[in-house]
Amino acid sequence: MNRLFIGVMALAFGASSAMVHAQYNFNLAGRQVQVHSFGSQGFAYSNDNSYLTMNTSQGSFNFDDLGVNLSSQVTDKLRLGAQGYTRRLGELSKGQVTLDWAVVDYRFKPWLGVRGGKVKTALGLYNDLQDVDSISTWALLPQSMYPIDLRGSTIAHYGGDLYGRVRLGKYGKADYTAYGGELPSDPHQGFLYALSAVFIEKTPYRGPIYGGDVKWTTPLKGFLAGASYMTQHPTGSGVGGQGGPIPGKAYTWDSKKRAITQFYVQYIVKGLHVDGEYHRDYRHLLTYVPSTNNLSSNEWNARSWYISGAYRFSHRIEVGSYYSFFTPNQNVDTSLPGNHIYDKVVTARFDLKSFWTVKVEGHFIDGYGANDSARGFYQFDGAHNITPQPQTNMLLVRTGFSF
Amino acid sequence: MNRMKIQRTLLVATVFMLGVTALMHAADFKVIANNSVTANTVSAGDLKDVFLLDKDSLGGSHVEPVLDKGGPAHEAFVKEYLGKNDSALQAFYRSLVFTGKASMPKTLNSDAEVVAYVAKTKGAVGYVSSTAPSEGTKTLVVK
Repeated sequence: MNRLFIGVMALAFGASSAMVHAQYNFNLAGRQVQVHSFGSQGFAYSNDNSYLTMNTSQGSFNFDDLGVNLSSQVTDKLRLGAQGYTRRLGELSKGQVTLDWAVVDYRFKPWLGVRGGKVKTALGLYNDLQDVDSISTWALLPQSMYPIDLRGSTIAHYGGDLYGRVRLGKYGKADYTAYGGELPSDPHQGFLYALSAVFIEKTPYRGPIYGGDVKWTTPLKGFLAGASYMTQHPTGSGVGGQGGPIPGKAYTWDSKKRAITQFYVQYIVKGLHVDGEYHRDYRHLLTYVPSTNNLSSNEWNARSWYISGAYRFSHRIEVGSYYSFFTPNQNVDTSLPGNHIYDKVVTARFDLKSFWTVKVEGHFIDGYGANDSARGFYQFDGAHNITPQPQTNMLLVRTGFSF
Repeated sequence: MNRMKIQRTLLVATVFMLGVTALMHAADFKVIANNSVTANTVSAGDLKDVFLLDKDSLGGSHVEPVLDKGGPAHEAFVKEYLGKNDSALQAFYRSLVFTGKASMPKTLNSDAEVVAYVAKTKGAVGYVSSTAPSEGTKTLVVK
């Protein structure tokens, strides 16, 4: 995948400006099909710890991705499309090609449309956009809200959406999405990696998901506010690992309840862009070991929020900063470094061409969360238990393209 | 007396500058459409909705937006009617394309290409420099 990725990047950079700006279309059965692509390559270096399962303390290029999509506006109301995606992220994703989304979309009216298939999930400002590096100021979105190592737990669903836009007259307009379906399994997500020493998955961890999002574009120019809700009920099973509490014993997992509530605001005026989001994530997981008839119950009550600001000085340069706050469980002492991750970030984004960006970003991270929160820092490297240091400073450089 | 003269001069200069600015703005671009589009006028709000892919009809006719890749007419149109700069507009379109919610609108490289495409494509609505020849299309008045 790395050679392929380099080849695609070389094609994008080496092609003439006119070629790259061109829309790549072809005709199929009398309908135009558009082809679009995006990708990125990152480099991360930290003074201590390993972040996102990358060996960042030694410097790591193990952070890249590539997406390609095809879509066609078949009729005025009917659209079809699909996108493939592959990424490398430390020990989590190693270039597996996945179906990112595949959608049949029919819009009856501006206020009512339906889409079905594998659909990106609406949650907050950026859940469905988090893979596309060129859309964001940041090399890494606030990880309290959009953890890249847990992407699979919210990014998409197999099922359907009802969506639409409702005009509110002088009060602006509201965009809504309501969805339901099944949460796909993600064997490469951080949660399973973090617990891989003690729980070995045998049947995929997946289950029903439903929720909704409402985004209100207010009468105040540039200001919008919104709220999202998601609930999941994944289940799975496996065998206890030799280093864990139930070595060799079969177990089942039942996320009796997982509920996410998220609120967000955004203000964009001229070159200024301000975002703020708040997120609550409640989980109640039951682990049952049939051989001992033992049922254990674990609950997490996570809180996350961030606030960010960015300013675009010219069409080439944008700078910004954000503060990201995460506590995996409100029920414990969150002042301990093992019970929080606070991240202060500064970023400079350079738009070298309309299709090519470079971002230079500094992270100043306090804390490392809990191992079972599986976010950013892992206390098991696949072979050894490790205890992260409480402070991590990291430089992240990421270049990306999209066309 | 001198003070009155200065005030009068400033007033004339201000009116002159406002007039020049208006003329300059009016000279930046014009909105054109395929002759199949029945509307002769379009509100600024509807025009914005068409180019931000929120609306696909004007006056009962199906429409599709056509953009210029760059240039003064593009910059002026995007700033005035879409409330964005080009970077923000491209990010907006990409957010729709890469989540499966829309296809990228047609983008062409020059006024001549935009005029040629709009003239031959049913429902096409675009913008070109106000002085660009636009045979085969109709000019929409933006209210």
